[in-house]
Order: sequence, then structure tokens, then C-alpha cells
Amino acid sequence: MAHADEREIEEPPPDEDSELEAHLQTKRMMINLGPSHPAMHGTVRMKVELEGETIVHADLEIGFLHRGFQKSCENVTWNQCLPYTDRLNYVSAIMNNLGFLKAVEKLVGLEIPERAQYIRVAASELHRMHDHLTCVGAIGLELGGFSAFLYAIEGRELIMDRVSELTGARLTTTFGRVGGLNRDLPDGWVDRVYRTLDKIHELLGEVDGLLTNNRIFVDRMRGTGVITAQDALDFGFTGPCLRANGINYDVRKASPYWVYDRMNFDVPIGENGDNYDRYLMRMEELKQSEAIVRQSLKEAPPGPIIVDDWRIALPPKAEVYGTIEGVIAHFKLVMEGVPVPPGEVYDCTEAANGELGWYLVSDGSGRPYKVHVRAPGFAILSGVPRMIEGKMLADLIPTFDTINMIGGEVEQ
Amino acid sequence: MKALEVIIAIGVILGAIFGLSALAYALGGWIEAGFPFFGHRLVESGLPGWAWVSNMLILVLGFVMLIATFLTLAERKWSAMIQDRIGPNRATIDLPGLRGRPLGGVFHVATDALKMLTKEDFRPKVADALLFNLGPILAFAPVLALFAVVPVGPQVTVFGQRVGLQVANPDFGMLWVFAIASLAVYGTSLAGWASNNKFALLGGVRASSQMISYEVALGLGLVGVMMAFSSVRLPELIQGQTTHLWGGTVELPRLGAVNLGIPAWGLFLQPVGFIVFFAAAFAETKRAPFDVPEGESEIIGYFVEYSGMKFGLFMISEFAEVVILAAITTAIFLGGWNIGFGFDSTLTRALTQANLGWLLGAIYATVFWIKALLLCYLQLAIRWTFPRFRYDQIQSLGWKILLPIALANIFITGALILVDPSLRSLAVLGFVEIGFVLALTLRRPEPAGHEADDAHLPADAHGHAPPPLPGAAAASHH
Repeated sequence: MAHADEREIEEPPPDEDSELEAHLQTKRMMINLGPSHPAMHGTVRMKVELEGETIVHADLEIGFLHRGFQKSCENVTWNQCLPYTDRLNYVSAIMNNLGFLKAVEKLVGLEIPERAQYIRVAASELHRMHDHLTCVGAIGLELGGFSAFLYAIEGRELIMDRVSELTGARLTTTFGRVGGLNRDLPDGWVDRVYRTLDKIHELLGEVDGLLTNNRIFVDRMRGTGVITAQDALDFGFTGPCLRANGINYDVRKASPYWVYDRMNFDVPIGENGDNYDRYLMRMEELKQSEAIVRQSLKEAPPGPIIVDDWRIALPPKAEVYGTIEGVIAHFKLVMEGVPVPPGEVYDCTEAANGELGWYLVSDGSGRPYKVHVRAPGFAILSGVPRMIEGKMLADLIPTFDTINMIGGEVEQ
Repeated sequence: MKALEVIIAIGVILGAIFGLSALAYALGGWIEAGFPFFGHRLVESGLPGWAWVSNMLILVLGFVMLIATFLTLAERKWSAMIQDRIGPNRATIDLPGLRGRPLGGVFHVATDALKMLTKEDFRPKVADALLFNLGPILAFAPVLALFAVVPVGPQVTVFGQRVGLQVANPDFGMLWVFAIASLAVYGTSLAGWASNNKFALLGGVRASSQMISYEVALGLGLVGVMMAFSSVRLPELIQGQTTHLWGGTVELPRLGAVNLGIPAWGLFLQPVGFIVFFAAAFAETKRAPFDVPEGESEIIGYFVEYSGMKFGLFMISEFAEVVILAAITTAIFLGGWNIGFGFDSTLTRALTQANLGWLLGAIYATVFWIKALLLCYLQLAIRWTFPRFRYDQIQSLGWKILLPIALANIFITGALILVDPSLRSLAVLGFVEIGFVLALTLRRPEPAGHEADDAHLPADAHGHAPPPLPGAAAASHH
């Protein structure tokens, strides 16, 4: 409130004599968006100072969804952290799960089986589509195009069906374990995924037809929420929001992990760094992800899905019930956790919103000493005031949509 | 089976419209014939005497309110159709024969109304009581008053009296529409102001600014039609549209001479005026893509503090506006009750000879409402297709696009009428314009650069998009 008061003082005081001739006194209006407001995804609050409908000053306040993620992780074994990671970016939980596992595996120094790598790529890209569909749909919804929203959500729902067949849950997937995966692809799943992708392709055509060339939509999106490439870099933007500025940075290409180097896909690059480019990035990435899912499922070789090391992976049930070694391995793994050697590591994957980084410290006790997440949404959200100050209140809506802020990962 | 249900539903709707129209004529004729002692006729020529009382009841409270009420259902069902959903089908009545049958969601409307009526009527303590209560009234009343000048059916002879389906036929005709339409915004602004809520205030301000920017175009869009038929009275405009631009008489066996031809509908003469008026009037209804005063995802709307039936009044006035906009557009641009293409003369002759004036009138009124309902559907389709404007974009649409177009249209129309009073050259220009707009709209936009890698964004999406003519653009989507 402090600066608001200062600003009001800046106005010249009314002259007593010429009060009748004086112009009407204008006052700036302080308006609270959120934490419960239709445009504030998750629960974030924004104090906006308006002059007419022009935003003079915007003040973001996060923390309504703070759950103590990092501290919680320190009290459980490495594998037990997974359910917590589900809740970071709850729209693409698998990417958080697998990103975390990749960092842990790097700390352990594990090479996971090839089949697991292919399935991880497929599952990640499926959830990238899930995330982008939600974002594109929400853009449509909040700009008043409800039909586009429902088409996108129908596609998202189909992915949720496939994901629940794969992991047993629609949202909180807890997929994968240190060293590989906890379960293989279900029977007939691959064909169902192909059919799902066909349908999503069709739905995307509808969304594309409703929005991409629509003059009203283009006018609302183009030239709004602009951020310069330098600012984007300074704020730490990654992912589609950075690429919309024409900066070609994608972890999947910059330092390929798993089998991304064998996948044929392109990374779309924008140029203007506005809402429209960010929207186009997501639309294009949806198509690229679809190609990656198809390719990885087609090329996935048969074989084990988790490393054959009883210190890392649970032994087969027959061994647990039949041999003393199996019982001991099972017991130790459940009670003590994966023995991660002491050390620290930073590792990242390309999540739907950008670089999802993990800084892990292990003291060798079987539980994390420190888990820090570099959530892509946090950096991007911090750039929002820069993107909308001086613009209109109505521009805040598409800007907030295209950066795709997810409360879970931002507020942890 | 499904098709049968649809046919039955359409039949029921048309039957209801027909029955209500016939009832209106009969009642009007009866009042005229039975109550001559009500004093002298208000206007000797043209306007029926006291039939306006029955007309007011049946047209405004019957037709407009009933159609507006069922439009809430139609909107839910049609939007569900557009969006691949089922729509309301849960509300049922537990009576024998009706158990478990949602009847297309009819009961949903009833429960909706019940909810509105029984909800707590809450007023914030800090709100201004008088203005707060005045808001919904001022938003609702002008909308119904608008309908007074709209003629639904022609003047026919019933019980020996001349009866028409129109509440009032003043000399100033269309000017009444402009005047009253501007009043509705006071309700919205008052609601926004009196609620003592910043979001509501923003909504009220947005409503006023929007209203100012489209109002000029709204009036100018109609000037062309008024010039063409040299009148501002709606019945005369409709009468003018029944004449044929090109046509001739054909002798047919059993039917006698039939006048075949292209009617001089306002749409053919003034396609540009139609688009300008329709876009501006669409903004009047405050529905998407012009729903900035509501802007549910931005400022929640000017009625954010209203609950219960007060909110219901805002909602129903929106739908009533949809109906009335459709009716006015029908009357001015779609020939009103005129069937056109040669049917009218034969039908009129046959039924007048048989002395079935009420039947003739009811058929014509049904035709009128069919056209109006099609326009209602068009509006709903637009509403569920387009995203919302930003409020300064509406202003630039109103001032920088619609206004110059309307002005140019007026000058060109005036010149053509001066040169060729038969309106034929105006109609030729109109057909050229319609063809041009259709060609622009139906053209497949090039896909917006989706071929990955390096800079691939469309060079200028503005260039690919059809011109910002919501009416025309939506027509091609559906």
C-alpha cells in the first residue's frame, strides 16, 4: 500500500479558489484479483492498481497453495517423494515424477533399461500434450470462447483415460521408480493411445479453426503480454514462453536425455514474445509431442523396465516370498530406501512449462537431505507484472493464461 | 426415432406460435368489434383501436417472454450441440407418464425459474438501496417497450374489423427503437454504480462506453433501408419489401395468375446495412463477443452483487433483447411476414376470398417468427463461436470500422436511389456485396504456420482473417 499512497500524493492538490474550474480529480483504483477469482489459476492474488482500465501497477502475491513440499521430502525415502512431486505441476504430473527420478538416478549413477527410457519419453510427451491442451483450452475459455475450451478438455480427458490405464490414477500418477518404471504398458494400451491421438488431432483441428485465425482472438492475443527476449532471459523464462521470444532453448535438444536424441521432432520458435506466439508455441508443440509419442511407442524395444539390482528395485514377488535374500532386499528397500550415495546434483528435464530443475543433496541416509525444485512457472510468474504494467486489465487475462501458471509448482 | 422427436418438437413449436397468433387476431378482432364504446379510435387510419391491449398482452408478455424463457433452454441445448455435449437432461417430474423423461430439458427451465424466485434477495449493506433496486427495472423495462413498434402480422379483417399484430404504430416508428434502446444501458450502469463494488463499477463503465460506441452505427445502419422505402414506420417498411424487384405473372392451372419474382427485402438491398446493424444491435444485447460488461473471467460483471430474481431480470432481459433484435432485423431486412417468391399474392387472394382473415394473419405471423427464430439461432451460434472483444477494441470497431462503413453505405445508397428509383441498381450492388462477403468468409484461411523449426509464424494473421463482421463470419461457421 505504501507506494499507492505515494502515488496519490503525486497528484497536484486542488486549488481552493479555482475549484470549480479545476479538472475532475482522478483517482487510481486499487483492485484485488484473487485469491479466489476466475482468472487467477490456482490460488494467486494480484493487487492491481488501475487508472481507468489501465494497469499502473501490479503486485503478485503467492503462497496460498504452499504445502511445504521441500521439507516434506526430507522426511521420506527417495521413492516416497514421488507422490509429493505429483502435486507440483498437477497438470503434467508424470513429467515431475520422471524428472525427479532422473535427477536421483544421476546422483546414484544409474543407467536405466532402454524400454523404460522409451516409455518414459512416451508418458512424458503424453502429459505434455495434457498440459498444453489444458492451457490452450483455458485461453479459449477465459477469452470467452467456451466451445474451444470444451474441445480441448475432451482431448485432455482422453489422455487422462490412457494415463489412468497406465498408472492407475487420473491426476496423481506417481509413475516410475528409481531405476526404471513400476509397471509396464497394459495390454492393448498402445493401440488405444494411437486412437486417442487420432481423436486429439481432430479436436485440435477444431480448436485451431475456432481460435488461431479468428480476428477477435488474434487482436486479443497479438501484441499483448509482450516481453523482450532480454527480459525473458533475465527473469529466467524457459520452455514455450522463452521460445516464443525466438530463443532456441529446449532441454530435449540442448542436452538430450533418455532417448530424445533418437526422436524426430522439431522445436517451434516464435519471434514476438507476445501472447499469440506463446499460444502458437503450445499448439505446435502439441503436434510435435503427438509425433514423439507415436514414434517412441513404435520403437520401444521389449525388455526389462527396471534395473536388475535389488538394492534399487524391489525384487520379484516370487523371490520375496521364496528366498531369504529377496525378503531382506525387500525389507531394506522399504524401510531404508534406495541407498543414494552422499553428494549433490543438479539435473533438469524439459517439462511442459520449461526447464524443471532439481537440486538434490544426499547424505547417504536413504532419505533426501535437501530437495529443491526449480519450477519453471515460478520464474515466469515473476515476469507477469513486467508484461502487463501499462496495459489494460483485459490483457491480464490472456497473459495469465499463456504463461500457464500452475499454483502447485509455483507455491510448492 | 430421433428424427421423429425433432419433427414433433418443431411441430409443437410452430403449432404454438400459430395458435398464439390466431388467438391474438381473434382477441383483437373481438375487442375491436365488441368494445366500440371505448371512445373514439386513437388514430383513425392504420392503427387498430383498442386491439393494442390484447396485442400488448399476447405479443410482449406472450411471445417475447415465452420465447426469451425458452431461449435459455435453447441456448443450453444448442451450445451443448455445438460442444458435443448432451445439455440439460436431469430435471424430471415424478408424475405417471413423465417419470424419467426430461422432455428435452423443459423442466430445467422451470427449476431454473424456481431457483431464481426462491433464492435470497441479497443487497449489500453499503449499496445504495434505491439505485440498487432501480437497476434491474431500468434494464428490463426498456427492452419490453422496444417491442411496441414491431409489427408481427399484417392487418387483416377479423370479425369485420381491421386488426394487425402491432402494439403501436407511431409516425416516428424506428426512432422509438433508437430512443428506447439507448435507455437500457442506464440500468446496467446504475447496477454497476449502486452495487458499491469495484468489479461491478468497471462493468458499468464498460457498458456505457460500449453503448456510446455502437449506438451511432446502430442508427446509421438503418438509414439506407429508410431511404429506400421513404418511411420510418415498420409496417410500411415491410409493405415496401413485399414488392418485387424483378418478376412477372405466370398463369398456372387451378391457381390462376401467380406473381413470381425476387422480393425487395432489405437484406438484398442493404447487405452492408444489415451487417452494420446486426453487429451494433448484437453489442446492444451485451452477449459474447460483446459481453465485456459481464466479462465473467475478468471482472465477473456489473451484476456481481445481484442475486435471486434481480439477477434473473438481468439475465432474462438479455434473452428478451435477443428476441427483439431478431424481430426487428426480421422486419427491416428479411421482409417481415413476407414469404416472397410468389406465394404471397396467391395466398392472400385465396384466403381473403374465403373470408379467413385470421388464418391469413396467423400464417404470416408464423412466417415472421420462423425468420426471427432463425436469427435467434444465428445469434446463439455466434455467441458460442467467438471469443470476447477487449473493450477498447469494441470502441474502435464501432467508431473506426462500423461508422465509416455505415456512412459510406448511406451515401452510395442515396446516390443509387436518386439515379434509379426502382431500387434495381441498388439490389444489383447488394447482390455483388453479398457475393463478396460470402467469398471472403468461405475462403479457407491459410494454416497459421505450423511447420515447426525456425521462424514460421504467419506473416500477418490479420491479413488472413475474414473482415470483422461477426454476422457474416459466423454464418459460414454453421
